[in-house]
Amino acid sequence: MKNILVILKKEYLTRIKNKSFIIMTFVGPILMVAFYAGAIYFATQGAEDNRTQTIYFSSKRDYVRPSESTFTFDKFLFIKTDQPRDTILASIKNETADAWLNIQDEDLRTLDSTELISNGALSLSQNSALEGFIKDEIRQKILQNQGINKATLDSAEVLGGINKLEVADSGNTESSATGIKSGVGFAMALIIYMFIFIYGSMVMRSAMEEKTNRIVEVIVSSVKPFELMMGKILGVALVGLTQFLAWIILSVALISGASTVLKIGANSIPAGMNTSTGMAPPAGLSAPSGGLELISQLNSLPYWEIGIIFILFFLGGYLLYSSIFAAIGSAVNQDTDVQQFMMPVSLPLVFGFIIAQSVVFQAPHGKLAKIFSMIPLTSPVVMAVRAPFGVPISEIIASFLLLALTFILMVWLSAKIYRIGILSYGKKPTWKDFVKWIRQS
Amino acid sequence: MIRVQNLYKYYEEVCINDNISLEIKEGSIFGLLGPNGAGKTTLMRMLSTVTTPDRGEIYFQDQLLSNKHIPFIGYMPEERGLYRKMSVVDQLLYFAELKGLKRSQAKEQVKYWLKRLEIIDWAEKKMEELSKGMAQKIQFISTILHQPKFLILDEPFSGFDPVNADLVKDLIIELKKQGTTILFSTHRMDNVEELCDRLAIIHKGKKVLDGSIHEVRRSYFNHEYDILFNGNEIPSELPTWATLQKTSNSEFGYLKARIHLTEPSKTQDLISWAHETHQMIGFQENVPTMHQIFVDKVTQA
Repeated sequence: MKNILVILKKEYLTRIKNKSFIIMTFVGPILMVAFYAGAIYFATQGAEDNRTQTIYFSSKRDYVRPSESTFTFDKFLFIKTDQPRDTILASIKNETADAWLNIQDEDLRTLDSTELISNGALSLSQNSALEGFIKDEIRQKILQNQGINKATLDSAEVLGGINKLEVADSGNTESSATGIKSGVGFAMALIIYMFIFIYGSMVMRSAMEEKTNRIVEVIVSSVKPFELMMGKILGVALVGLTQFLAWIILSVALISGASTVLKIGANSIPAGMNTSTGMAPPAGLSAPSGGLELISQLNSLPYWEIGIIFILFFLGGYLLYSSIFAAIGSAVNQDTDVQQFMMPVSLPLVFGFIIAQSVVFQAPHGKLAKIFSMIPLTSPVVMAVRAPFGVPISEIIASFLLLALTFILMVWLSAKIYRIGILSYGKKPTWKDFVKWIRQS
Repeated sequence: MIRVQNLYKYYEEVCINDNISLEIKEGSIFGLLGPNGAGKTTLMRMLSTVTTPDRGEIYFQDQLLSNKHIPFIGYMPEERGLYRKMSVVDQLLYFAELKGLKRSQAKEQVKYWLKRLEIIDWAEKKMEELSKGMAQKIQFISTILHQPKFLILDEPFSGFDPVNADLVKDLIIELKKQGTTILFSTHRMDNVEELCDRLAIIHKGKKVLDGSIHEVRRSYFNHEYDILFNGNEIPSELPTWATLQKTSNSEFGYLKARIHLTEPSKTQDLISWAHETHQMIGFQENVPTMHQIFVDKVTQA
């Protein structure tokens, strides 16, 4: 036990003192935010094609914009044409036009004989935009035929949205926080997922380094391999927790700093304006101010439960995976051999993360969610995603017990592999060797 | 001090150590000899608690060797390494603490040895900044920091430059004087003859020879004598109880005759015979060197 502490201390201190750790602690969060902001920005903006698409338009019955020979919709320019089919196809081929929308149906209620012929450059979203547009036009035509004009139709549009409320523990209603819950759940799953990978591979690298540097033989003449492995795993876990703590303190400081700035900004608004907007929302309805709503939603989250689930499954998941990674690190002799073993081992984790993403947006308490939050290799990530939605305590206990049992079993097996692996040099190990080593010790 | 009894160790059904028994006396230096792959390292790993025997026992001061003896054992493996990114001091303190030394004690020892080996100026440097020779010194210090009673050195002279190899040799002698029991393996027979009180030769996992240097060499004495004569030929007829093994030219142009006695008791008669030729200028027993015995044992088996 004392040896584990000595090793833990060394693993912890050498990492904490490392420059890259200090840099990562301060720059990491900024990089993360920038990365996600960038990804979201490009996903929403960058992918769009700004070029106007020229669409030839033919129709057996001229009911779409009968008075116009060309018209535009979104980024499409429609040109009505009655040229023969071959001519049109040729001009699509030589890219004079991008596509040809050819409505051949006599009956308004169907588009079965209608075709959209393109040079293959139309995207999925452009295709559905075109189809939606044409259906809208036809719907209007049908309504017109029944004597309903556009103005009547527009006046039938329902405005605004439903206020989504939840009954809180106090019995009062408050605005529903599904969005926030999804966000928090997803963030926790992401953190656990990344942490396991980053720090798990740190454990593996450390085991491998000691082996290839030949330090390990000296060390195991002083301590048991199990102590070395556990000291390493726990030391690295502590490094990760330290980094988290630093990040939390940093972001709290940043947020409180930012809100101080905001408050000063709010106070400088002329008093009259402030009261007039303050009076605006009718009594009984939730405040329309986005910030206020966000804060009240954040306050409604079951923090204790979320926090406990996060820590339990975060540690459980990390310990489970890092003990596997440690065994791999002890067995291989060089970097290039690592991949072969990492792939199958990390697959369940990646799978769990994919499940987590669908769980959070669809059914946090559905069958899929329940099953995968029980399986130990995926439960850390999937349970984290469910946590903000409130998971029954029995499920949490059952899932954690399973995780803990698997962790103990895995540490036991890994220690056996580790014990022999660290002293086995030469040929690249195989899965068969792993089994042999487990049996041997 | 150390007693090894009928030790067996297998690796994937191959017997690496096959019924090995040894006894190492307190305060002595024991040499472990054998060709590559004989099982020396395997035996040393068991003695240093890195691995455990499959069968047989190891006794440390009449107690079964166990983890509680770890603080009293120092082990320097053949393949050596240190943490490249750690400073010399941190590294040595870490190893000392793993051996159960208190922090204050460890600091004292580290300081003493760094001074002793004249590398105190490098104490705060990282290992990767050190030359190989310095790293070797650090390696040795890390093995003896906790003042082990039993020191196990696997090929202590290999990989060390001649200056450091001599340093290690001096330290081994010094530690012996302080009462440390030392076991080392080597390929270099000169070191064995110079340092060891006892030795054992292991070949293909089996012990083929065991004893003190003198005993062993004596037991291989085949009643052969080298006589140096002035001139180019043996001056007179050999007695009947003596046969000529070979002749060779020694330096300074003398003739060196190797003579074997068929009657071992006739040593004095041989001297008288040689004396009477009035040509003898040297007479010596031909006791085989450890090198000859080693080669003989290993090729024979």
